[in-house]
Amino acid sequence: MFQPLDPLLHSELRLAVMSLLISAEEAEFPYIKEQTGATAGNLSVQIDKLSAAGYITVEKTFKGKRPCTICRVTPTGIKAFDDYVKTLKNYLEVGKKS
Amino acid sequence: MEENKNLTAERSLEIIRESIERSQRTITRNSALPMIWWGVCVVAFSFIIAYLWANHGGPVWNFLWFVMWIIGYAGEWLIAKRNETVPSTFVGKTIGQVWATFGIFCGTIGFIIGLVGGGILPMELIVSKNVFIVASITSVISLCFGIATTITGAVIKNRVIQICGVIAGLGGFFGALHFLDHRQLFVMAAVAVIGLVVPGVLIQLQNQK
Repeated sequence: MFQPLDPLLHSELRLAVMSLLISAEEAEFPYIKEQTGATAGNLSVQIDKLSAAGYITVEKTFKGKRPCTICRVTPTGIKAFDDYVKTLKNYLEVGKKS
Repeated sequence: MEENKNLTAERSLEIIRESIERSQRTITRNSALPMIWWGVCVVAFSFIIAYLWANHGGPVWNFLWFVMWIIGYAGEWLIAKRNETVPSTFVGKTIGQVWATFGIFCGTIGFIIGLVGGGILPMELIVSKNVFIVASITSVISLCFGIATTITGAVIKNRVIQICGVIAGLGGFFGALHFLDHRQLFVMAAVAVIGLVVPGVLIQLQNQK
């Protein structure tokens, strides 16, 4: 019996955002936007969803006079990502056997 | 990237791999110019100090290394401003800490030896009267240089930088022991070329492909 994949992570953009944040301690919004190639609007929506689930924290601050949004992954997010990857591997292993 | 509920397991893993690799590449890419810059600074100051040492008053000109640190950091700050913003990562922090450690150790050794050489501190502070040693600060600094470069290469998983670090460190360590006069600075220049400029140029060329 397959364990269901976390629906919040099972989306291209949200998964890409989480992967970026897993490899970084923190990242600014423009960097995530550039790396994922997403539009600012779409990215904002997905970041809000991840934030609402407690997977990331979003800090709104200033860099000089310019507003700056910094995203950080939380321990809950790390655990969810870890579980997601484990489940994926499980899917692939079962797929190879069959 | 769009919302996609029909992601396959393979595609999901591909997204994870691509995202992490892309982030890693950005960090590697941004390390090229600072490496070249610091390498050029060391080479330029090696030649300037070697010339002054040989022709105008001896090793006292080594104090110019502290001027190089100031110019080097100013240049690095400008390069960082020009480069794209890179997130704070474990890799980036580790590289920064390795080079900061290198700077603190070599700067402190250079400063103490400078004070001893200038007669401000007694010679007995660094070596006993009854002991005769053949030592070159360039030799020690070259070794530290090579170690820092090799660790940087290992952290960013770049074999060329690792090899350059080993050659620069060991070559510089033994090479500098052959020269106790101003010529040891030519060894320092060679160490900087192999340990910083060559890896930096190689990364830069890879970026442009």
